[in-house]
Amino acid sequence: MFLGEATKQMSLQIVINGLATGSVYALIATGFALIFNILKFSNFSHGATMTAAAFTAYFLVAAKGGGLAATLLAAALAGALIALFGEFFGFRRITLKHSSPTYFFVSSITLGTLYEGLVTIRVGSNFYNFPSFFKNPTIRISGLVISTGDAMMCIISLVALILLAYVIQKTRLGRALRAVSFDRDTAQLMGINSTRIIQLTFVISGLLAGAAGTFLGIKYTLYPTLGSLVVKGFIASVIGGLGSLVGAVIGAVLLGLIETLLLSLLGSGYSTIATFGIMLVFLLVRPQGIAGSNIQEKA
Amino acid sequence: MALLEVKNIYKSFGGVKAIQDFSLEADAGQILGIIGPNGAGKTTIFNVISGVYPADQGTVILNGQDITKMEQYRITRLGMGRTFQNIRLFKGLTVQENVMCAFDPKSQYKILGGLLPTPRRRSEEKRGREQCMKYLEVVGMADYADERPENLSYGMQRRVEIARALMCEPKVLLLDEPAAGLNPTEVSELTELIQRISKEIGFGILLIEHRLELVMSISHLIHVQNFGKTIAVGTPAQVQHDPQVIEAYLGKEE
Repeated sequence: MFLGEATKQMSLQIVINGLATGSVYALIATGFALIFNILKFSNFSHGATMTAAAFTAYFLVAAKGGGLAATLLAAALAGALIALFGEFFGFRRITLKHSSPTYFFVSSITLGTLYEGLVTIRVGSNFYNFPSFFKNPTIRISGLVISTGDAMMCIISLVALILLAYVIQKTRLGRALRAVSFDRDTAQLMGINSTRIIQLTFVISGLLAGAAGTFLGIKYTLYPTLGSLVVKGFIASVIGGLGSLVGAVIGAVLLGLIETLLLSLLGSGYSTIATFGIMLVFLLVRPQGIAGSNIQEKA
Repeated sequence: MALLEVKNIYKSFGGVKAIQDFSLEADAGQILGIIGPNGAGKTTIFNVISGVYPADQGTVILNGQDITKMEQYRITRLGMGRTFQNIRLFKGLTVQENVMCAFDPKSQYKILGGLLPTPRRRSEEKRGREQCMKYLEVVGMADYADERPENLSYGMQRRVEIARALMCEPKVLLLDEPAAGLNPTEVSELTELIQRISKEIGFGILLIEHRLELVMSISHLIHVQNFGKTIAVGTPAQVQHDPQVIEAYLGKEE
């Protein structure tokens, strides 16, 4: 088929936008999958953690003239602190008592509602814009127009994901994290302080949440229910195969690409419906996700 | 004073008295067998000793320290290693990583310091890998260091589990039915392995086992449990001729 020069440019543009969106979803999805891995529940407070962390960074740093790096750092730290708070008050006791997942579910929804409420008290239902961090809002590379924000998002997310992979695969913390994720009690009997490892996992998840929240705030705007975009992260980690971090990243990038493509083809109204439709069909065909395996274990 | 002293422990689950007044003393170089029919409370004894749950009454003392109410990971770090009735290796980690997990708490760098590739981390990782290979060598699994445990045979997985327990550098090693599911050749290899590590490393070993030929041949002393109570303590020869033991195993003669 013959593709005109303009069409080619268009499709490249879509791919780049899709990758940028996907990379933010990947930050959300991995932060979410880490907690799912270690405590086997869906952390519904993850979205509100993102919002609260992004707002904290907005008020403490960005609104006072801080740059992108300082804002991201502040958001990541705020996310980590909020996650630590949540781990201690929301999950510590039920973890030690080996409570059923329902309790974790209720606890995480409660925490999420609490964070969202606190943010709403501070900011009302107003929308906030991060100051434009870049001198040039767009970069031109051989005819392609890329938003500087999108480009930074891609690069920083990629760096964050590589760091995450390094920590998990190559360090003592990662080894302990994988052991505790597989079997908390046995890990404990091998001398690993499972509580400490769970705490550190929440810190990592919080760091990722803070960065993701800031990026969403830059891409769209900041508002108290921004965290509901976490659903995209959930979906991405399910498409990828729940619990698999690599799967979560693949799922997120795929979701970002599909969404951007449909957006340009169908407009904003139908694209959402079509995206979710595709996801439903996907889960019907391959419920275990991309990286999930259905190999039956020998009893 | 013995290396491990278990004094008059009790443990109930609801109305079930899983352990009643159990006592035991183990010294370095000794192998103590714990036998008894299913449901006699043998694994519960191990779980209380290793801190999975605390005893309702009684004390457990390891190397002079009261560990009755201590957290599991601290007990392990003080010198307790164990294996499990149903093998509990970390799937998704390689054999070497499984064993290294037990080294990490003892390494000379902090868990957060370990995020940076410092020279200290490099040297400690190297020390860990060397120790890991040493213990895998001891159990004869050095050739499978990079294999995933789920790809190994049952007998091999048992050996890896023992290597992981050795990596905890235990003063007391608890082996929970190590011969379960093994064929006769594997059982005799295991018997030889347990005797060898007992001599070479010289820790106290507590051994729960159903395969009587294994327990009888290597234990110095045997505790026989039935319905949570100790019904006999003695050398293999003594317990084999104890009428109560024979009754528990074969039923009462009418």
